[in-house]
Amino acid sequence: MLSQFAYRKAGSVQEAIELSSRPGARILAGGSDLLGCLRDGVFSADRIVSISGLKELKGVAATAGGGMRIGALATLAEIAGHPRLRQAYPALAQAAAAAASPQLRNQGTIGGNLCQRPRCWYFRGDFPCARKGGDTCYAIAGENQLHCIFGGEGCYMVHPSDTAPALLALDAKVRIQGRKGARTIPLASFFVLPSVDPRRENALAPGELLTEILLDPPEPGARGLYRKVRERGAFDFALVGAAIVLAISEGTVKKARVALSGVAPVPWRSEEAEAALAGKKLDQQAIAAAAAAAVKDAEPLSGNGYKIPLVRGMVEDALSALAG
Amino acid sequence: MSESTYAVVGTRPPRHDATDKVTGRAHYGADFQLTGMLHGFILRSPHAHAAIRRIDVSKAEAFPGVKAVVTSADLPESPEQMVDIGEGAMPLSYIRGNMLARSKVLYKGHAVAAVAAVSPHVAEEAASLIEVDYDVLPCALTVEDAMRDGAPVILPDLRTKEFGEQTGRPGNVAEHFRHVLGDAENGFTEADLVVEREFRTATVHQGYIEPHATTVLWNEDGHVLVWCSSQGAFTVRKATAAVLDLPVLRVSVTPLEIGGGFGGKIRIYLEPVAALLSKKSGRPVKIVMSRQDVFEGTGPTPGSHMRIKMGARKDGRITAAQAYLAYEAGAYPGAMVAPGAMCVFAAYDIPNVVIDGYDVVVNKPSTAAYRAPGATQAAFATESVVDEIAENLGLDPVEFRLMNAAKEGTRRADGPKFRRIGCVEVLEAMRNHPHYRAPLEGPNRGRGVAVGFWFNVGLASSCTISVNSDGTVNLLDGSVDLSGTRTSVSMQAAETLGLRAEDVRPSVGDTDSIGFTEVTGGSRTTYATGWAAVEAARDVIGQMKERAALLWETDAASVEFDRGVFRAGGRSITFQELAAQLDETGGPVVGRGAVNPSGAGGSFSGAIADVEVDPETGKVSVLRFTAVQDAGRAIHPSYVEGQMQGGSVQGIGWALNEEYFMSAEGAMLNSSWLDYRMPTSLDLPMIDTVIVEVPDPEHPFGVRGVGEANIVPPPAAVSNAVYRATGVRLYRLPMNPVAVMEALWQKESEPGGGSLHSDAAA
Ligand SMILES: Cc1cc2nc3c(=O)[nH]c(=O)nc-3n(C[C@H](O)[C@H](O)[C@H](O)COP(=O)(O)OP(=O)(O)OC[C@H]3O[C@@H](n4cnc5c(N)ncnc54)[C@H](O)[C@@H]3O)c2cc1C
Repeated sequence: MLSQFAYRKAGSVQEAIELSSRPGARILAGGSDLLGCLRDGVFSADRIVSISGLKELKGVAATAGGGMRIGALATLAEIAGHPRLRQAYPALAQAAAAAASPQLRNQGTIGGNLCQRPRCWYFRGDFPCARKGGDTCYAIAGENQLHCIFGGEGCYMVHPSDTAPALLALDAKVRIQGRKGARTIPLASFFVLPSVDPRRENALAPGELLTEILLDPPEPGARGLYRKVRERGAFDFALVGAAIVLAISEGTVKKARVALSGVAPVPWRSEEAEAALAGKKLDQQAIAAAAAAAVKDAEPLSGNGYKIPLVRGMVEDALSALAG
Repeated sequence: MSESTYAVVGTRPPRHDATDKVTGRAHYGADFQLTGMLHGFILRSPHAHAAIRRIDVSKAEAFPGVKAVVTSADLPESPEQMVDIGEGAMPLSYIRGNMLARSKVLYKGHAVAAVAAVSPHVAEEAASLIEVDYDVLPCALTVEDAMRDGAPVILPDLRTKEFGEQTGRPGNVAEHFRHVLGDAENGFTEADLVVEREFRTATVHQGYIEPHATTVLWNEDGHVLVWCSSQGAFTVRKATAAVLDLPVLRVSVTPLEIGGGFGGKIRIYLEPVAALLSKKSGRPVKIVMSRQDVFEGTGPTPGSHMRIKMGARKDGRITAAQAYLAYEAGAYPGAMVAPGAMCVFAAYDIPNVVIDGYDVVVNKPSTAAYRAPGATQAAFATESVVDEIAENLGLDPVEFRLMNAAKEGTRRADGPKFRRIGCVEVLEAMRNHPHYRAPLEGPNRGRGVAVGFWFNVGLASSCTISVNSDGTVNLLDGSVDLSGTRTSVSMQAAETLGLRAEDVRPSVGDTDSIGFTEVTGGSRTTYATGWAAVEAARDVIGQMKERAALLWETDAASVEFDRGVFRAGGRSITFQELAAQLDETGGPVVGRGAVNPSGAGGSFSGAIADVEVDPETGKVSVLRFTAVQDAGRAIHPSYVEGQMQGGSVQGIGWALNEEYFMSAEGAMLNSSWLDYRMPTSLDLPMIDTVIVEVPDPEHPFGVRGVGEANIVPPPAAVSNAVYRATGVRLYRLPMNPVAVMEALWQKESEPGGGSLHSDAAA
């Protein structure tokens, strides 16, 4: 049931910050996640602050330094179809294209995609779970085949976003504005593990807005991709996914970024896999070692052990594609 | 009439309702509006099993905008009776109990109370103010849980019926029945090879896109008027009248267009509740379900637990077969296990058979029909075992099936002897199809086959045909149009009258305007309502002959009719010319047809599936799929193909993706289109079709219904293909990536496993 709320349309970032600072206020971008949550009673809101009219949060553009600036309101469809992103940052364009369905990609924004709430069926259902302030994670003893194999502590959901691991593999930064001003932080420190706080997924404080995403210029010899394993060809979240960005020169991997989706409560960077690739030739041996390293420390629950061979196979497959 | 003389039957004219459907002008359940209409909302149980101690509706009643609130206390009491609910009958107390729970809720989603208010949102908000005091009870969610000693008792009054007799034993087993043919024990001793396997299938939903929707006005004159989306207006009328304890004359039902039913829109859920709200408020009340309501509050198809044992001789003859079928009925008895038992070995001529069926009550929504109800689960089990035996005997799987195929005269264990059937013809068409002969190369690929049977029903249908002065006709029948039945019925009338399909204007009548007609279900509409249309057309011809006789001053018996022309004694007049003279020869001509055929011919269906299993992800991709089905006579081949493709797609979804995930407390965890994964067009290949025609000997055109049998073989065919691709056989549906990965992984860990290396096992 959609309970009653006040609706305010912000005319500026400053106004959006003021309006959304008080408890019970929620920011509305495309609404594709927020409204579903409200209607299903996952959480409530007494004030909805729409940022959809803020021009300064829109658009995808090159920066003076050769990187890219993506406004928080850029839609997934815009990102998926952007020529420069497709060419220079294929992991991101592919991740955006793999999300949801065409209608949702037209409506959903990248800011909303990074800030969307978990898809765990206990969180979304009528269960007073840890993420909703309760004292237990129902997945531990329940239906946990879609839950995490890394980073679970008190909550075993998986972060739902496809674009987050891609941006993580691209070492993206995010700009945040709030009452106290603006700050730019690496995306890696944007997401919050349940061991820190099981009740929120990111570092935003009330009244803070994610305004833009910044990408450095691609490294020389960079190649990348996003792989998504899902049960259905469309309209489906990742069972697991991998965003991989490699900088290769003279046949050796100079820098590797491997970020996984569907495995942890945050987009999960596998430094183990990266270490197995760095300085190596991208041959069968290195690929197999990296894939094995990606799952080395996995801690599966009762029903999701299959994710271990799944992730290993997917990483192997993705690396082979990049090598080819 | 020989085949070549048909002018209309077998052609592909456009649907009569095509324009309205593609422009969005057609009126579905939720489109209906009346002046002053209120909106209803149903409060549902959050618990799978609980006693209701108290319901307090006072806050909801006082909420601004609320016009009425009802609970089970508003339902009338009347003596117990069995009420025919379309596909089967149910005690009235169960139908009422499912409508609004009385002393107990039996599943999460069970309706408890309802509110009518000025808007759907006000109704929903007011419903949240209803206070229900529950005493939560332990629940049983599967047949195995429910049959265990000490299982929670779901229906305290239920006593197990065994072999047709009341045992007086309480418990969750509503019925245990047995069919015996020959001597199975002896039959197994004659076998050189005996295979016995255990199977499970998940609860799945029909997945119609349109949710249930109804509008009801309890008029000041005491008459109840219903406009709703259903598979049969007369069944809605009968059930609504029974629940409300009214004579059927006091209830009128107008069927609106239906956005899919597949068996799930035969039972009623909303009409009596909306009627009670209308009676209390004095205004029409509309209720439209949400998707969650549909998943949690309407009837899915049973999950099952099955064991199949079959024995065969080295020469390929099956000597004996045994089945244990235990199906989840949901909250009230009526799992479709009886039809499952009729179909489980129906494709084979087996001398010695024992079938045990168990109808088991569990804390899930009361199950309903779904396309060949009960047969798909059973065929998944049987056809997997048949495949294993064929492989072990070194026989081609289609040849092995042909060697044992049921034919005219074969006796089924549940009693009937087959009349002319097309099992052999379907198998031969599979064997001869280029798909079956095409090489399938590449790693992790496999081809599987399976066959399936559905017996089809006849039942009552009515039709009238009125002749217009220009020689066109208006046709009225009582069958809700599912996937083009207006046209397939009209075509049979047109063929009989020597008209073109477009000279017939069909419409679907309401319960006040047409004779009794059973539901659109059981693959019966083109068969039985088509037959009624033929009878109505013959009646028209008879009356028109009299008119011609009057003009020619001869007797009607001497007038002949062939392909639109009446002839007698060298004179002739066309249907159109004669139609122009009806006024002068006695007035309008209205033909009527009313039939109740009992001997519908069953339909066999076969599937050939090529799959590729990704060993890294466990995902099964269907590369190629061919459906073969006996249609008796395809009236409109495109619609037959559409049925075959639709059934195949639903069968593939059942095989690979669809499943109710339940929490331990009995809450459905995936009650949305996102998490209840039906396949999309991206997940499916084009479904190739082959129509086999072995005419039904009794039907005027030889029609066999084709709506259902096509869903029966796909899960088994896909499973057999997965086995050929991987060497791993799965005994549980769905075979989603998780299940496949786990099975592959298990095979790995066995000595002599393949190449999927694993060092990080849990
Ligand atoms: C059926 C379905 C399938 C989906 N499948 C996928 C999938 O496969 N992969 C995938 O990655 N995603 C998937 N999604 C999620 C979808 O991509 C997101 O809903 C969408 O990107 C969110 O964007 P939005 O603009 O609509 O956000 P909104 O719904 O408006 O907001 C989402 C959340 O983010 C907050 N928020 C939004 N913008 C900001 C901002 N600038 N600053 C601070 N907070 C903000 C809101 O307060 C809210 O809590 C799916 C969603 C649906 C409904």
